[in-house]
Amino acid sequence: MTTATAKHEPTTKAVITKPSDREVRIERVFNASRDRVWKAMTDPKLVAQWWGRGNKLDIERLEVRRGGHWRFVEHSDHGDHGFEGRFAEVTPPARIVQTFEWDGLPGHVALETMTLEDLGDGRTKIITTSLFLTTEDRDGMLQSGMEGGLNESYAALDRVLAAMA
Amino acid sequence: MVQYSPKLDGTFGALADPTRRGILERLGRADAAISELAAEFDMTLTGIKKHVRVLETAGLVTTEKVGRVRHCKLGPRRLDDEAAWIATYRRMLEGRLNRLGEFLERTRRKP
Repeated sequence: MTTATAKHEPTTKAVITKPSDREVRIERVFNASRDRVWKAMTDPKLVAQWWGRGNKLDIERLEVRRGGHWRFVEHSDHGDHGFEGRFAEVTPPARIVQTFEWDGLPGHVALETMTLEDLGDGRTKIITTSLFLTTEDRDGMLQSGMEGGLNESYAALDRVLAAMA
Repeated sequence: MVQYSPKLDGTFGALADPTRRGILERLGRADAAISELAAEFDMTLTGIKKHVRVLETAGLVTTEKVGRVRHCKLGPRRLDDEAAWIATYRRMLEGRLNRLGEFLERTRRKP
């Protein structure tokens, strides 16, 4: 864990914790006002300058509103990698909740919550929590409630069809 | 169950490279000889061997030499892709936040 060092260098080191096997939480302090950080995260022209981690980035969509779709393609020497998702919550300049999916592993969706905290001294803390929805989760869901729900629906349909006959 | 063991760190490094992810994806469809991979990925034999060795060390690929041909197939850890993906994702996110930090420093004087 990097917690101890992070306390001494809050502007450069990220604090990474793993609240559970299905979650990743990263905290990092930025030497910029919350409005500037928000703009850097939501203005396509600005996002293009850092999101690709040094790789060329195409911002195909960035509709920063609830229900809006985002899709970025990162171009590296070894190929192109698409990432996309939808915004579940957008509360400027404090909070974004979105889904995150990589083209390379379709169906492995993460739910990302990004909270921007104004530290009051010109600095901003971003806390990202990513919750992974896994195949196991989906399988579990199928075995429990959803399957039951589907069977109930079919039973209801049977009744309707029977009544029509 | 996700464990951030040295073995997983190996997976993490192995998956961080797009060519290696490509090799895994390719081997997921069918086994292949090193020479086939080299041709398909437009790389030298030495280059491909290096990538395959990283994947082999991480347990993601196994190789077997039959005569003069080395065959590659997916290794025993292939079912762990979710854990590997979470680790890769974490590194990616860290990288992005670092870039954002650099960007904010760089553009400090501008609006």
